[in-house]
Amino acid sequence: MRHDLVGRFEQGAAGAFVEDYDELDERMTINMGPVHPATHGVLRLVLELDGETVLRAEPVIGYLHTGMEKECEDQSWRSAVTIVTRMDYLAPFFNEHAYSLAVERLLGIEVPKRASYIRVLMSEMNRLSSHLVWFGTQGLDMGAMSAMFYGFRERELILDFYEMVTGLRMNNTYFMPGGVWMDLPEGWERAVDNILTLLPRRIKEYEELLSENPIFLERTRGVGVLTRDEALALGATGPIARAAGVDWDLRRDLPYDRYDEFTFDVPVDTEGDVYARYKVRMAEMKESLKIVEQAASGMPEGDFRNTDPKIAVPERGELNRSMEAVIHHFKLVTQGYTVPAGETYAAVESPRGELGCYVVSDGGSAPFRCHVRDPSFVNLQSLEPMVRGGLVADLIAAIASVDPVMGGVDR
Amino acid sequence: METLHLSGGEWPGRARALASEGWLLSDLCGLDRLGLSGGARFHVVVQLVHHERKERLTVHVEAQGEPPSVPSVTEVWPTAAFMEREAYDLFGIVFDGHPRLARILMPDDWEGHPLRKDYGVGKVPVEFVPQPLLQVQAPGQSPRPAEAGVEADRLGQGGEPARREGGRT
Repeated sequence: MRHDLVGRFEQGAAGAFVEDYDELDERMTINMGPVHPATHGVLRLVLELDGETVLRAEPVIGYLHTGMEKECEDQSWRSAVTIVTRMDYLAPFFNEHAYSLAVERLLGIEVPKRASYIRVLMSEMNRLSSHLVWFGTQGLDMGAMSAMFYGFRERELILDFYEMVTGLRMNNTYFMPGGVWMDLPEGWERAVDNILTLLPRRIKEYEELLSENPIFLERTRGVGVLTRDEALALGATGPIARAAGVDWDLRRDLPYDRYDEFTFDVPVDTEGDVYARYKVRMAEMKESLKIVEQAASGMPEGDFRNTDPKIAVPERGELNRSMEAVIHHFKLVTQGYTVPAGETYAAVESPRGELGCYVVSDGGSAPFRCHVRDPSFVNLQSLEPMVRGGLVADLIAAIASVDPVMGGVDR
Repeated sequence: METLHLSGGEWPGRARALASEGWLLSDLCGLDRLGLSGGARFHVVVQLVHHERKERLTVHVEAQGEPPSVPSVTEVWPTAAFMEREAYDLFGIVFDGHPRLARILMPDDWEGHPLRKDYGVGKVPVEFVPQPLLQVQAPGQSPRPAEAGVEADRLGQGGEPARREGGRT
């Protein structure tokens, strides 16, 4: 650090890189982000450093805040799905799932078995695609740039499958209260088979690339350690908590939407470091493939949504035959359905942990309150105990292993 | 799913008792009940989860007073720190005893609490600077600024003639 340069940055001024610098003990406070290649979006960290050692790391968030929870209050129950799906943009199906489960509980309606299986299939595909992005960015931040290329190559396969089923690659708006928007298209089995044959081979290749790579081990083992007690106290969920020995997975422990009909393991580790999180996520990808396989082979026949005409928009052909269908269609599109007054909280296990949706209805045709408990938002609090006392380079590894998605954090 | 309704005074004691039973804090958020019947206007809604019993519990804590306030539970569950800051930021609920109650999602100098029901969405005044209309000028013709101002008035682009001192072109 050139001392004569320090004076050029006003102390504490907005936009300065160095906020505070003390010549005697060499402590300084530095802004990392909000625009930084290793902060995965617009995450800003205020770091207090002693040389290369991190003394304090405070996340500063809100750069992507667009008031989505408020926007939901202006939407009908049906169209609020389009808002929640944009929150955690790497896990759109999980946002939709939590919201749909909450609204279904308030409506008191059943979801047909086929709809549940389609949701499980798409959710687990989403877990794969989200973990593939994490794999790419974790590798990239550790200097293994090829991991990024491989991760995004395979993710493309899954995004193509989304596009085939929902018409979109992201922000799918596919799940809805009562089921899903459309049935699976013709030829979906072949697309799933293709993914199921290709991905296990590719995941094996990834493990050959990184699991015993001495550079990768050096950068991740014993780095960014979060103990079990810290994870529980700070409310960490998902792979971070499971890597620290918290054996908790909502799919198994508080099953929702027929997850109890699937058999899978919940990978747990005890080390709590970045490498343990790597191992847990790699194992989770294999478990997700198992669930996808079970959902695809056991896909039941039947309705893909609850066909209650007060909730489900009638199919196009119906409009030509039935006057009631036209009336229902008109009512649903212009005004939407009403939901009995009440409140509920529904949570799903997203790739980053517990994604919950707290919904309040006043009996009207729009959510009175729609709060989303985003796992990235809560997990960011566990970043500080992970990095305190470590090096700045280890901080980069720790951020990548928390896998925060700022769209979800800021909502 | 069971729901407990507590007043602000009862909350820290019950929170400590619940935490010692093994309940973990899953979610905490604010709720503005303006227009709903019964109880205080502001609630803090807490979702708890118990790993061994595999149960969930919802707690409603009433926030009384002006500004509405509730004791903080960051000492019981450290994870509440961010969530209480969010509830303060979006609803203006003050958490007494919070180590650092600052805005978290909105900018530090923001006025008001946007998730309140009486917060004016679409009512925030937006200043439009009246602009002179773009003139198509024939070669050899001199521009006629007086007419441009008249044109702007006719189209309702501000009641006064175009301001020049703004510096925007």
